[in-house]
Amino acid sequence: MGSLVRKSRLVSGCVVLSYVFLLPRTGLTQESTTDTLRRQVTEMQEQLKKALERIDQLEKEKSANTGKIDQLQSATTARLGEVEKSVQAVQSAPTALNPAMGLVLDATAEHRAKVGGTFNFRAAELGIAASVDPFARMYSFINGSREGVEVEEAAALTTSLPWNLTAKGGRFHADFGRLPKYHEHELPFVNMPLSVERMVGGETAADGVEMVYLFPTPFFLRATLGGYNKMGEENERLDDSKSRAWSRFTYLGRLNTYLDITDNHSLELGTSMTYTPSVRLVGDPVGGDRLLNGIDLTYRYQPLSSLVYQGLTWGSELFTNRERIPFDDVAKRRLSIGGYSYAELKLNKSWSTGFLFDYGPSIEKPGKKTIGYSPFLTWNISEFNRLRFQYSYLRDSVRADKEDAGNQFFLQWTTVIGAHTHGFLTR
Amino acid sequence: MKIELLKGKNWKVFFISLAFIWLQTGLVSAQQIRAVASWPALADITKQIGKELVNVESLATGVEDPHGVPVKPSFVPRLNRADVLILIGLDDEHAWIPALLEVAGNPKILLGRPGYIDCSVGVPVLEAPTLVDRSEGDLHPKGNPHYLLDPVRAKIVAQNIARGLSRNFPQHQQAFEKNLKAYVAELDKWIDRWEKMAAPLRGIKFVEYHPEWIYLADRFGMKRIGSVELKPGIEPTPNHLVDLTQQIKQEKAQLLIYGAQNPRVPQQISNETGIKVLRLYSGGGSGPETDSYIKWIDYTVRTLVQSVS
Repeated sequence: MGSLVRKSRLVSGCVVLSYVFLLPRTGLTQESTTDTLRRQVTEMQEQLKKALERIDQLEKEKSANTGKIDQLQSATTARLGEVEKSVQAVQSAPTALNPAMGLVLDATAEHRAKVGGTFNFRAAELGIAASVDPFARMYSFINGSREGVEVEEAAALTTSLPWNLTAKGGRFHADFGRLPKYHEHELPFVNMPLSVERMVGGETAADGVEMVYLFPTPFFLRATLGGYNKMGEENERLDDSKSRAWSRFTYLGRLNTYLDITDNHSLELGTSMTYTPSVRLVGDPVGGDRLLNGIDLTYRYQPLSSLVYQGLTWGSELFTNRERIPFDDVAKRRLSIGGYSYAELKLNKSWSTGFLFDYGPSIEKPGKKTIGYSPFLTWNISEFNRLRFQYSYLRDSVRADKEDAGNQFFLQWTTVIGAHTHGFLTR
Repeated sequence: MKIELLKGKNWKVFFISLAFIWLQTGLVSAQQIRAVASWPALADITKQIGKELVNVESLATGVEDPHGVPVKPSFVPRLNRADVLILIGLDDEHAWIPALLEVAGNPKILLGRPGYIDCSVGVPVLEAPTLVDRSEGDLHPKGNPHYLLDPVRAKIVAQNIARGLSRNFPQHQQAFEKNLKAYVAELDKWIDRWEKMAAPLRGIKFVEYHPEWIYLADRFGMKRIGSVELKPGIEPTPNHLVDLTQQIKQEKAQLLIYGAQNPRVPQQISNETGIKVLRLYSGGGSGPETDSYIKWIDYTVRTLVQSVS
């Protein structure tokens, strides 16, 4: 019993001693853990701060790099473009300064009731065009036919004149009417209408100068002023090769406008006037002035979504000619009126058909005329290869040329190689 | 009598009318850059780059055959007043723009001048012919010009437009670059979306009327097996149509895509082979669903996917 009491006292003493010695240490340990935790938190905060700073830095670097990549991409594209252009320039270097060239062959097989048939080599037309310098362009059409070879057009035109002006000089088709300035192979039918042949003198070939002004209006309005030795390829009134008084030149004025009725329908209107102050025809020593006027109207139905295979064009021109004409030993001032009207319907991408009505008065024999009726059918095998069949019936009271009367049949074949365009005027 | 008509008040009325017309044209968007684009999609991208600084209009409406846009004189006054002209290039507009520029009287936008912005610069071109001869059809010697149908290439187009505008108006360069960045980022998002959307198109065999769809096909993994045209720009011959229908049957082509061409031949082929015929324009801007570049590509991809689903 006594030993048990001693033991219990010893244990109690040890417990008390342990408490006395160990308790402060426990407090110390608790304090140390808190510090550690605090330190760790502080460290973690610092690490987090550093990490955030690093992320910020990386993001900045990334965005800087993205910018650089964008810049690099842009620079690469630009460089690629330059290289591409250089390669093209090198590839085309041997021919770079050569003008664009093309050749048109226009031939017909014809039968005219009054004169018989022929294979008509109408034209091999060589077209050449290029820029002269930053201020001008030049083009030429050299035409070979069974009548011989001639320079049909060779003209320079400005590209950089101020105030919407364009000047043209040389030999070219004067800006008179609509179809008269077309080259024959570009017409919608086989032959130039007789009204144009007789009143204008065929294609409006002229040696001279022209100045064109585009009005700064919201709609298309264009004026042309011109001065020429004469106008008309077959116009024999004046001699093209001699110097003469300025009163014996031909002067032209034209206004041309255009209206979109809707997206698909349009109307184009032009009015032209040529004035020659002094003309002396054989048999009329007195002479006088000549005034040739023209009005042209073109309606087009061009459905935008199906233009390739649908469309209709209706074009008409009316001409008046006033001049002194010697007839029956008397020279009198006379008025002639003529013109044509045609319509062409596109049947599909390759085929189109149309009809031409032509009223060609005689300038020399007042009251006499030739009236022509010509249905035609065109097959565009491709953009550069075309066959056309035309039947014409000409009711003729002029009796000047057997070719201008009766039934006529034409099969025309027109082909193009190379670059060949007559530009805006014959669109 | 004629002289009387032009006396006094009549002259005044004439000159006042002329001055009025003159003033009207001068006032149109006097503060903005006047941009003219050949196609609506280019006009839209230009608008995205130029924003309020640019007044842009398109000459074509988007429904035209790319090679058959009419040479309308009403385009001439617009070109006459333009500060910049934005084109597809690669001779895409060769049949109509040069003829218009000839009479537009605006040296700023002639070929080679700063205002002539050719969007094809730096664009990787497909189908550049190895033989440039018209026996191969109406070829584009510099390659297929219908690259706008690939939205990835459109990013280069946007860069070209931004660069072209900056070249002409360096005072606005920063604004153009900022707008370019935003537009390219938007395009990138759409491209991701289109890539996913177009998954069903991968491997689909198709026939096209004219070689217009190669860039889109290349982007989304479609496979062209033939064209209705015998050669580019050349209408099909009966023999070619027989060969094509056989090919469609053999290769199990699913789609025939045509645009501004005559629907008669595609319908005829469809009747014979059962191939699905789809009319899609390769110009954009043809309706409210396609009046922006992004909407146009989205509409095109969606329509293609729906047609094969």
